[in-house]
Amino acid sequence: MKPYLQYLVILLDDTSVAYCHANNPLTKRNLMPIDTLKKAILFGMKQNLMIQYVYPDYELPAEYNEVIESIDHVKIGKDVQVLNEVPKAVITDNLVLRLTIADFIAHQYDLAALLPQVKRLNICLTDMESFTDAQQENYKKALAALNAVLANLYKSQQQPQVNILTDRLTLTEMHNCEAGIGNITVAPNGKFYLCPAFYYDEKMGISNRMNHKAKDASRSIGDLDNGLEIPNKHLLYLDHAPLCRICDAYHCNRCIWLNDRLTWDSNTPSHQQCVIAHLERNAARDLQQQLKEAGLQAGDEIKEINYLDPFDVKETW
Amino acid sequence: MFGIKEQQLDWNSGTSKTITFIVTKDCQLACKYCYLVGKNEKERMPWEVAKSAIDYVLDNENDPDFATEGVIWDFIGGEPFLEIDLIDQICDYIKSELFRRNHHWFNSYRFSFSTNGINYDNEKVQRFIEKNKTHLSIGITIDGTRRKHDLNRVYKGTEKGSYDDVVRNIPLWLKQFPNASTKVTISSADIPYISESVLHLFELGIGQVNINCVFEDVWADGDDILFEDQLVKLADVIIDRSLYKEFACSFFAEHIGKPMDCKLRNQNWCGSGKMLAVDAVGNFYPCTRFAQYSLRDKEAWIIGNIHDGIDKNKLRPFLTLDRCTQSNPECIDCEVAEGCAWCQGENYDAAKTHTVFQRATAICKMHKARVRANNYYWNKLYRKLELEGKREEFEKTHPNVKPEIC
Repeated sequence: MKPYLQYLVILLDDTSVAYCHANNPLTKRNLMPIDTLKKAILFGMKQNLMIQYVYPDYELPAEYNEVIESIDHVKIGKDVQVLNEVPKAVITDNLVLRLTIADFIAHQYDLAALLPQVKRLNICLTDMESFTDAQQENYKKALAALNAVLANLYKSQQQPQVNILTDRLTLTEMHNCEAGIGNITVAPNGKFYLCPAFYYDEKMGISNRMNHKAKDASRSIGDLDNGLEIPNKHLLYLDHAPLCRICDAYHCNRCIWLNDRLTWDSNTPSHQQCVIAHLERNAARDLQQQLKEAGLQAGDEIKEINYLDPFDVKETW
Repeated sequence: MFGIKEQQLDWNSGTSKTITFIVTKDCQLACKYCYLVGKNEKERMPWEVAKSAIDYVLDNENDPDFATEGVIWDFIGGEPFLEIDLIDQICDYIKSELFRRNHHWFNSYRFSFSTNGINYDNEKVQRFIEKNKTHLSIGITIDGTRRKHDLNRVYKGTEKGSYDDVVRNIPLWLKQFPNASTKVTISSADIPYISESVLHLFELGIGQVNINCVFEDVWADGDDILFEDQLVKLADVIIDRSLYKEFACSFFAEHIGKPMDCKLRNQNWCGSGKMLAVDAVGNFYPCTRFAQYSLRDKEAWIIGNIHDGIDKNKLRPFLTLDRCTQSNPECIDCEVAEGCAWCQGENYDAAKTHTVFQRATAICKMHKARVRANNYYWNKLYRKLELEGKREEFEKTHPNVKPEIC
């Protein structure tokens, strides 16, 4: 079944925490007006969407809390803790860690030490665009270091999830970010965006690439008053992504913001994204083999492949 | 060979890399249908930029993108022959570097030009042709009869047509390149003159007339019917006078007008992304149609430059393009899909978003009209051959050629 819209991400403030690949460059507070918040919630209710509030690092005015609590939701930045460096210990069992590739590699053992403390760890690399082929070996080794700890934990009946390693074990088809088709974002200005990163780009005046005929840097795809309008929406679906639809790095975020930024086409991933996803996919394969050797269930077999970027073997499709 | 003129393919078609130098954005003409919206007299390629581009390409001989058997060094404008001194210098440098480097393209190269033909007989141009004649392809654009040609191909700043200044050079051109072809472009206003124009070009001795409708959204109600009528009229003359034995017009191609399968026939139409274009400031493009002077509504799709090289990420959309992913359901299910062309640059320019994956369909009704006329042509020709007892021979011997647009 094709993905369908299930989540509404509400950025409560311009300075709401960044929780994915894109850094939030906005530093000036700009709280979503409470009437806009109410409209966003109403939109979510009518469209039957799960609300995900994204919090800033300051306390919201008291009157917001009653509105926020009027609907089922998840609080990103609160229920889901988002950190930009590796902590010594965690106070939540659902953690998002946003790290540069260099930090991920440098702190691989600190990360491994966190694994017994979490139920789920989402690692977001914040500088994928600068990943070089020279970093491949070190990234691979860091993934292997986490694998070693994960394998032991799984053998002892603990099963922490790490998005870049364990998600692939259970997936049998692509399960990507799905911005614009599975989730959309509403910003403090009451406009819709494919994801928060497109809002950041608009605010920073970064050249518009999703709706090029607009004279300004608008990246919005509608607003709360007029509804959603996503031009060329079909290009966001997997069946319109030639590289991704034949790929089995099922856990890959397939980040359309990165696509838009690096290849200029929302349906085409960059070399960097493909290589990172395949290093993770291959590490998941290694983990799967370790678990199977220990007699544990570890999902459908992940096959051995001889490439890291499907683009390099496109002649064989 | 059986007596039907084959449609020619370009030199080393499909096995050569095309590298295009946009040597100038200036032209003597201001053709009314020209897609180059940003022509100007200022942007002329300096020698240093041309040299750096050549060095970049030759330095990267081992890059898979430059591993083709041969290379077509293409020169475009504006009007390329306005920069004949630069072109001569570029070609001399290419030849000497290919030799010096023992490059695999040595003796597997072509210099290619599309010119308006106005200064074809210029002494410097002629000296250049004499010097490079064994490695040259030159196409002169002439649109047909004087009234058809002068309808669009006028001098800039005036409404004066250029027909007389072009046609006087045709005999010299055909003497030097007897198998030369010309490229004719059709827009809405030209339709009434198609038949007479193609026949006129045949009369001038041009054996192959490559002709296509512009891809832009310029077509008026009823244009398709007029177009079909013109092609049927043309078909009648070509067949009744047996002109098909010596001349070919690309409007009539046996393979077109069939449905296409998304698995078996899914390749992209054009070669953008496999080509490389460089402009006067040293920026690289996937083809010239992605340079700013070619684009109405979008910003240039720059894939790199002579200093930093090519950003391969910017080429990935082009090199993964296929027919069905960029087509809408109507095109995918079209019963006469085969032969329906598109220009990737126009697709990009007309797209709702920044993408090369949205196929522009302004040409749809014109393609369907062409298919109807093409069906008429082949049915009429087959019947004639049948009655002459030549059908079987034709079926056995005729080439199944599928010319590419670009």
